[in-house]
Amino acid sequence: MNIHEYQAKKILSKYGIVIPKGKIAYTPNEAKKVAAKVSLRGPWMLKAQIQSGARAKGYFLEEKAGKKAGIRLIKSRRDIIKNAEQMLGSTLVTLQTGPKGKSVSRIYVEAYTKVKKIFYAALVIDRMASALTLLVAETGEKEINELALNEPEKILKIALPLNHGVAPEQIRKVLEFLKLPPRSGRSLKRLINGLHKAFLDYDASMIEINPVGVMGSGQLVALDAKISFDDNALYRHADISALQDDYEEGERELQAAKYKFTYCDFDGNIGCIVNGDGLAMAIMDELQKRGYSAACFLNVKGGVDKDKIASGIKIIMTNPKVEGILINILGGFLRCNLIAEGIIAAASEVGLNVPLVVRFEGTNKDEAKEILQHSKLPVIIAEEMDSAVDSVIKAVEESE
Amino acid sequence: MSILVNKDTKVVCQGITGSQATFHIKRSLDYGTHVVSGVTPEKGGEMHLGLPVFNTVKEAKAETGANASVMFVPAPAVKAAMKEAVEAELDLVVCIAAGVPLKDMLEVKAMLKGSKTKLIGPNTPGIITPGEARLGIFPENIHHKGKIGIVSRSSTLTYEAVIETNRANNLGQSTVLGLGDDMMIGIDFIDSLKAFHGDEETKAIVMLGHLGGTFEEDAAKYYKSLKKKKPVIGLVVGDAVPFGHKMGYAGDVITKGRISAQDKKDAMQDAGIIVVNSIKEIHEELLKLFPKA
Repeated sequence: MNIHEYQAKKILSKYGIVIPKGKIAYTPNEAKKVAAKVSLRGPWMLKAQIQSGARAKGYFLEEKAGKKAGIRLIKSRRDIIKNAEQMLGSTLVTLQTGPKGKSVSRIYVEAYTKVKKIFYAALVIDRMASALTLLVAETGEKEINELALNEPEKILKIALPLNHGVAPEQIRKVLEFLKLPPRSGRSLKRLINGLHKAFLDYDASMIEINPVGVMGSGQLVALDAKISFDDNALYRHADISALQDDYEEGERELQAAKYKFTYCDFDGNIGCIVNGDGLAMAIMDELQKRGYSAACFLNVKGGVDKDKIASGIKIIMTNPKVEGILINILGGFLRCNLIAEGIIAAASEVGLNVPLVVRFEGTNKDEAKEILQHSKLPVIIAEEMDSAVDSVIKAVEESE
Repeated sequence: MSILVNKDTKVVCQGITGSQATFHIKRSLDYGTHVVSGVTPEKGGEMHLGLPVFNTVKEAKAETGANASVMFVPAPAVKAAMKEAVEAELDLVVCIAAGVPLKDMLEVKAMLKGSKTKLIGPNTPGIITPGEARLGIFPENIHHKGKIGIVSRSSTLTYEAVIETNRANNLGQSTVLGLGDDMMIGIDFIDSLKAFHGDEETKAIVMLGHLGGTFEEDAAKYYKSLKKKKPVIGLVVGDAVPFGHKMGYAGDVITKGRISAQDKKDAMQDAGIIVVNSIKEIHEELLKLFPKA
């Protein structure tokens, strides 16, 4: 789960990380009002709050929003209302949002902070080393992803222990790598230890400050902030779960999440239901080889509740993009008969209007096939993944 | 022969009284697995599925000689259950639960370092040595004793690979294990390849990888360094996943740059692994390796 920049900054500031003064606004008038509180004479930063990076390089779909991106430097008070009006309710497209973009419902008004230089800092988990890992880099004009891909040596990685913060020699190493003045040392220690403690206290999966600004005094300030939380640990953090912005998630994703399933949208026309990510990827590869692609995937994981499975299947059956459904289940923990019963329950509620191909293997597969055969639903049963993919494509082509 | 588990493995089930554990332990018992006891805190002294239940792993080990655990506890309880298993010095733990919190796994991995306990999972279908032992949730009816070792990161694709070995003149399996689908896992491809190379019965290995992390690249490097190699057939899925899609693990973008399924396949090919591009090619390659049944 992700939260907005202003929410992330609020959390980080509790851990001693310095942030510019800022306030959130939902209307242009509010923006003007809070701007006066944030800074008397400005300049100000107006920052569209959508959960995406690269907002400064994005563009708005609507003409009324003007040509400027989602992060704007504002020098005069009267421009605050104008720019807030432009951005609020408009749709911001960035490298990370996809072409549809995301609608801006609130703006963070911040005091502009003059800095001498900027750098990238993040705390992540290196899954291969099973270690909390600090990443820092001078990104300059480049995106961090570009550096990771083409010039990985420009990113410094430092493993941090779980039970205590950063060591003095690690601080020295970071100062040297980023060519920071020695007087930034104290501020750097505070920043890293703040990240470390916030990460563990809140069960984060990533905290990114991109960029950190270095002020003339050597003081470090978080100019942007992003926190991703470990979904599997949200049960320990009711306060964070409450911040979930439903507006940011698609309707079907949310529905699926309610049943602890995952749902992903793609560009094609085949709706797929599987019980594993590896299986989903294998099916996507097979569809692609045949010139097709998935409309969406529902991963019911190890689901064992028939009603939840039926509700999940309905999400796929009612998706207008779906012209054919492929259900490929390899039962282990999950029992195939529950899927068969779920299919029947879902079809009886919302109707089955597109071809449906089912392939069962593993736990209770024969029982599952029998249930479907007795249901009189027009279900095509396949024996292998290959033939299941062939069958659904053939059925879709024939029904056109 | 086999790897990690066989008919002599004495299994304790942590969380035995739960409904999923009951369903699968009964099947494992029917399969002939040497399950000797169960653990459920506060239910010590009871009997379940004809097995004695203990409050702690330590007691279960002392009383019944258990040396491996199959763990059916829910994800939030995994850390505490792992601590018990490691402190009792079990040889092997198979953790079925999916979605163990990352912070807990960081602590679990720290516990495992320097201990004698090996972990399979979390989020694994487990490990099965056909005809001898089933620790986990594998659909046992598809497995047959044979000479192919199978190791997979994806639970569901493991079953596909098993079916492929059957399609290839019933070559069957020596041992099949799923490494687990969670972001952080216990044993990896390298540990598995090492074990399969030490097992006489295993004549060839099938490894199934997918996007995320550098498990396949690391394994390829290890395989390349081996002087005596058994044939390995490798598949990596995820070619068609658009970059940056939520399906993978977003953190990898930051730590490792953009690694595609093709990069993994290239690394494997370079190491001498027979790389295939779809499930059904697995049995075709197996038939080339073993033309006569």
